[in-house]
Amino acid sequence: MSSNRYTYGVIEQAPLDIDVTGVDGAPIDTVDYRSLSAVVSEIGTIEPERTDENAAAHDEVLRAVLQSDGGRTIIPMRFGMVFKTENALKNVLRNGRVAFRRSLNDLDGMVELGVKLVAKEGSTVDRRAVVEDVATRLRAVADTEAGNDLYSDRLVFNRAYLVDRADQPAFEETVAAIRDAYDDSLLVQYNGPWAPYNFVDIEIGAEGR
Amino acid sequence: MFVIDDLLINPVVSILEGIHSMAISELYDTTEIKNEIKENRLLYELGERSEAEYERRNGELEAQLEIAREAHEQTRGKVEVMR
Repeated sequence: MSSNRYTYGVIEQAPLDIDVTGVDGAPIDTVDYRSLSAVVSEIGTIEPERTDENAAAHDEVLRAVLQSDGGRTIIPMRFGMVFKTENALKNVLRNGRVAFRRSLNDLDGMVELGVKLVAKEGSTVDRRAVVEDVATRLRAVADTEAGNDLYSDRLVFNRAYLVDRADQPAFEETVAAIRDAYDDSLLVQYNGPWAPYNFVDIEIGAEGR
Repeated sequence: MFVIDDLLINPVVSILEGIHSMAISELYDTTEIKNEIKENRLLYELGERSEAEYERRNGELEAQLEIAREAHEQTRGKVEVMR
């Protein structure tokens, strides 16, 4: 038994019924503080290795929470957040409760969707024109957007969108239309729904760990 | 004698360390390697790269990243790595 708690994110306190296991195959549990709950699992280390498998387990837990109970809201933690004890984690929930509550309210009913456009091998595209057109179309069906890194020369567009769950079908139709419009030159990767990684910015003091 | 030695030796040492740190910075640029890891994954997800090719390349890049991290670790505190 380890007292370390790997933490996935923070939710509104209510029973959590999800059918996935966490990092290292550990069962999912919650740590509660007043109206907040942290979604956690036990872990034997304080520095989990960021393997593909562990990163996928982290995402799977967040997605399961997002889909549970007709769609819950979760403030996601980045991969690798481990607290040495439940009490250390409760301290963080207490110290950050105002920020957590505000984020839960702001993100209520929202999911994050990602769109990447990749130039097909050998194709030349007018990048500026593509970006302008695609961004305009997607903004019309999204609440907020966040730009992400163009980490490859092949990447033309890489943005995340905060979208109301009710608008997700419209967003997907727009993505399909973009795919049709640029079928000869671009590959389109649409992904999500994710927990809103790109739309929360809560600093957690290291002393709390 | 001590003062003279110091003056003679130090400039050389610091220049050498400067060159060394620049070389490490270029050879072991972790950002560049991380970007290649992400690109490899993206092209695999889009079906342009086979699973075998993805795994092979990913293994190479992860090994490079490990070496780069160790190189940075070893120089930390001794020389400033200029970016």
